Amino acid sequence: MSNNNKTTKKSGLFDGLSRQNIVLMSGIAIAPVAVVANNFHNSAALALGFTIIALLGVTACRFIPKKIVYTVRVIIYALIAGLAVIPAYLALRHFYGMEMVENLGVYLPLMAVNPLILTKTETRFSLRPPHLMLVELLGYIMGFNIVCVAVGTTRDVLVNRQIGAIHFDVGFEVPALSSTFGGLIIIGIAAGAFRQQYNMRKARKIRKAEKERLRRKMIEEL
Amino acid sequence: MELIGSFISAALLALFLQNAIYERALGINILLYASRRRQDVIGFTLGLCYITTLSSAAVWCLDYFFGDYKHYYLIVPVLYILTVGIIYMASLLVLWRYFHDLFKKIRKFVHLTVFNCAVLGALFLNAQLGEGILGYIGYGLGTALGFAVAGFLLYIAYERLNAELVPASFRGMPIMIIYVGIVSMALHAFAGYVT
Repeated sequence: MSNNNKTTKKSGLFDGLSRQNIVLMSGIAIAPVAVVANNFHNSAALALGFTIIALLGVTACRFIPKKIVYTVRVIIYALIAGLAVIPAYLALRHFYGMEMVENLGVYLPLMAVNPLILTKTETRFSLRPPHLMLVELLGYIMGFNIVCVAVGTTRDVLVNRQIGAIHFDVGFEVPALSSTFGGLIIIGIAAGAFRQQYNMRKARKIRKAEKERLRRKMIEEL
Repeated sequence: MELIGSFISAALLALFLQNAIYERALGINILLYASRRRQDVIGFTLGLCYITTLSSAAVWCLDYFFGDYKHYYLIVPVLYILTVGIIYMASLLVLWRYFHDLFKKIRKFVHLTVFNCAVLGALFLNAQLGEGILGYIGYGLGTALGFAVAGFLLYIAYERLNAELVPASFRGMPIMIIYVGIVSMALHAFAGYVT
């Protein structure tokens, strides 16, 4: 039983990181990454904001009684997530200053209506026991944060020839990548590459399992 | 006359120069979902038109009366969501009471039309760009029409984007995002791009 629980926790964590990554696989949180994550600092701030909103929002929404009809529940979910934006604002203002809050613009409060909070809470998180829900949620948040910071860093390197405050010369620059279309194209290519890697890994696992099954069958026959 | 001018210019701004999808990627996840069928594009556009136009007018009242409050920006998300929520509930009640068949048809995905980045984004941007109540309404309407343009452009390319010629890993969401990015780049070229 405990072994089974461990497997579920592990798979729950990795689900959000890879198979159900909300940027590269399901694409439910593309907009902020495409538009705001155009340098390292912005992407790190966005990741922090998202972590606070998603963690507080989903955890609180998890406890909304199922007796309330979904039509009303979805409004309550959005309102709770809207309230979770306040600590995110305050944290960002504390760590990065008001300028960063302005840089993130409308994309920070828009996290409140992210399908991760409005839909996944309903279809996934509320069906799990609290500890497992937290693990899964952390997986989803980490999945978003890793992609967000990776995209931000890549754009920082290609646009500003720097990562944060560290300057270096890559020999060329592509300023257009800091725009929305640049972000969309980068995410599209990254999503395709990620899916290919994921599919290859999955196929390799299936082949390995099949091989193992045949080997066991042979041993049994012998 | 000046008010009508601000309505038209706000609508055109939201439709072309600041298209919700191509300029700000707002509601792109909903667009990817809606662009699969023509009925969905039309349905989502009508829903967005309705909700953004009404909410924009309501939000103008909030901004007008409470906009000067020092910490207004902290409570804006909750206020805007509450506004959209009230309009959503009232509309659903009317539909349930008088148009029961329509209510049954749309109830499964109506929340997707209402609670998404395109609607909330239009309201937030209204506060930054809109001038006067007609400017707000114009921007809200323009956002929904901009969504319709983007939805239609993606719908007509949908089959080709998901054809067998496209590598399997890129089929679906990745290639659609790249396509939206390329169309966005083309629109940037029209608007003029400064590095």
